[in-house]
Amino acid sequence: MMAASTASTAISSLCRKGCYLRGFQIPNDVYTRVAYSRSMSINNNTKRGFPRRGNTGSSKSVLRESGEPRALKMAVDQDWTSVYPTAAPFKSGSVPLSVRMGYPMKRGVPPDRKGNLELIKIPNFLHLTPAAIKKHCEALKPFCTEWPQALDSDARCEELFPIRLQTRAFLFAGMSQRQPQARVVRLTVKLSSVNLDDHARKKLIKLAGVRYDKETDTLTLNADRCPLRKQNTDYAMYLLTVLYHESWKVEVWEQEKTRADMEEYSWEDSLSQRNLLDSLRRMQWAGPGEGGAGGGAGDRAELLASPEVQAYGESISRIKNKGESEGTVLQYREAVKRLLNL
Amino acid sequence: MRIVWAPEKEALATHFVLNVIINCTTIMALHRLHFGLRQTVTQTRSLHGSGLIQQLGSAAVEPEPSVRPKHAIFRTAEGDPAQHSEQHLGQYYTLPPATIRSLFPQGLPDRFQKQVKTFNECSMMVREPALEIISLLKRADYSKPPIHYMLYGEKGTGKSLSLCHALQYCFSQGWLILCVPDAHLLVKNCREILPSAFNSSRYDQPMLAVQWLRNFRTTNEHFLSQIKTTRRYVWTKRESTEEGRPLKEIVEHGLARAKSSSDVVGALLRELRLQVGRPLEGGQEPFRLAVAVDGVNSLWGRTTLTKERKIEMAPEELTLVYNLRKMLKQDWSGGAIITAVSQTGALFKPNFAYLPHELLGEEGFVSLEPFLPVPVPVYSDKEFESCYQYYIDRNWLQHEQSRTEDGKKELIFLSDRNPSVLERVCASL
Repeated sequence: MMAASTASTAISSLCRKGCYLRGFQIPNDVYTRVAYSRSMSINNNTKRGFPRRGNTGSSKSVLRESGEPRALKMAVDQDWTSVYPTAAPFKSGSVPLSVRMGYPMKRGVPPDRKGNLELIKIPNFLHLTPAAIKKHCEALKPFCTEWPQALDSDARCEELFPIRLQTRAFLFAGMSQRQPQARVVRLTVKLSSVNLDDHARKKLIKLAGVRYDKETDTLTLNADRCPLRKQNTDYAMYLLTVLYHESWKVEVWEQEKTRADMEEYSWEDSLSQRNLLDSLRRMQWAGPGEGGAGGGAGDRAELLASPEVQAYGESISRIKNKGESEGTVLQYREAVKRLLNL
Repeated sequence: MRIVWAPEKEALATHFVLNVIINCTTIMALHRLHFGLRQTVTQTRSLHGSGLIQQLGSAAVEPEPSVRPKHAIFRTAEGDPAQHSEQHLGQYYTLPPATIRSLFPQGLPDRFQKQVKTFNECSMMVREPALEIISLLKRADYSKPPIHYMLYGEKGTGKSLSLCHALQYCFSQGWLILCVPDAHLLVKNCREILPSAFNSSRYDQPMLAVQWLRNFRTTNEHFLSQIKTTRRYVWTKRESTEEGRPLKEIVEHGLARAKSSSDVVGALLRELRLQVGRPLEGGQEPFRLAVAVDGVNSLWGRTTLTKERKIEMAPEELTLVYNLRKMLKQDWSGGAIITAVSQTGALFKPNFAYLPHELLGEEGFVSLEPFLPVPVPVYSDKEFESCYQYYIDRNWLQHEQSRTEDGKKELIFLSDRNPSVLERVCASL
């Protein structure tokens, strides 16, 4: 058996080189030869002397008859976890399910499970039934500690532990237990839980760039540049610290920030506001009620405080910040109507 | 069904063929649905071709009856826009040809103009946006700065026609009409561009200015002799207009001297801005001014015109655009500004843009506000029914399937109740 397996690897490596020269004939030949030699050795064990050529009657008697499939003998309330204790390929004899798989030939149905290679190829979860998982959990329970009472909800967890580090552990049967992906550390934190003022928050968002998600208000830092998980964890924490302190700094050039550089449109002191005040003043000046041209600072504040002007400013900001749509234009329309008493 | 052959329908026989071809090639996705209707259209085409002479003969015998049933439910006899109210919604009213000649000397919107010629009458539907503007115009206080009404809506919903309807109200009230029918034309495909003599950083468009002045003179004939200039204008070294001369003189000058026509437009707009709302000489009532600009979004943004060394020209470098923008500033009083933003004909604008801010851009929006956006929607059920009945009445829908309930449903599906699309779909039926 050992020899056969080594031979097969040797041949397969040969095949890889020679396949384009001579096709797939070589490995098939050799495999059949190996199989033949094995059957010979079985014959030798069971019956003395050379087998008679061309007579199949004698060899039939020595082959073990396959009995009734195990699946038929299974009790309904048996312990399934002992049938499939670990991950194993599909065994048609021991799975009492009428599963079919494969390409249906001649308008028939897909082939039955017995001797069906397709069912063996695919991975199965027959060892991971709910009963098996329950058993695992029961077995692990003695090694667990009790969950802290204070952390009774997700919100509470998030409040007490705002920084979240995510790593992945890989478990597999291989030559080495190392997996390169295991070193990657992902740090997520909600910006609302970080101590930031308005300026620092805007600066942090600018510095973070695509790492900040506006929808969820989450900053995500991925650290994968160091070879070890520990180093990457330290690096992620370092990044967060540097970001925090950097965003609290106010540089000299930040004074040069103009209206066009602002993250959000603000109606206060905008050209739109000035235009509106001008036209409102013109309207008042033209109207019969007001006598002289006001134009003072008090007049301006009075105008700005009126609810119509406030609503107008809000509708303009909405168009600029939320994007123009049928709804926002209609809101603007209502605001103008109220402003002009239409 | 008695088919009355109308000469204008025959003139469009070739038009039919074209439309059928366009339908075949472009509306491939709707091919299967459209098939039933299209089949017979092809047949009528061959009929039109072969029986041409025979029909011409019969046309001489049987002219179109001049008296039409005016009491049809989709029509209203009320021709005065000032009298239009909610009860006339969705009904057609007919504009007299004389009004069209004097109010729209440059012509109505293209597709509508064709329809007017075909139907041998100019009928417009009374629709909500125009009614709203008219009712607001009636209530407005004209001692205050003008209110800016801006029509917006998807392509082909009837912004330009609503503008025309509102403008007709102003015209019927005896206002002075300052109408730019298509501002997009100012910033593209201009034949002649000259450096301005008045300000060297600007450029004149003499041909457009002359054309506009001619139309303006046709519309406002009687005002031009009443309004006098308030200062002396020097056009060239030798030519000038003294203070206190009627505006007619400078308009005539602009028409005669194309080179200074753009400056004449500027001077004219300045005079109107200054004098609107003030009593005229001889104790006459102050006149009202209606400024109407279709495609106002072209006054901001980019142009396809170039200066020397192929540098792109900004719109404000054009004298006409510069002066028109001043007109849209709400710093005068005694009138109204009615505009429409449209993607059709606009430059560098995405195909489905139709909202004011995305068409005007940031700069345009800021310089026009505060304005009142007036949405122009697609046909409502009532309006669609009215339009459908109108097309049937005008024998525009001749296909027998189009008069059935199923045919109507198909038309609704094909056009999505968009007026322009409906007109295009019906053109081949």
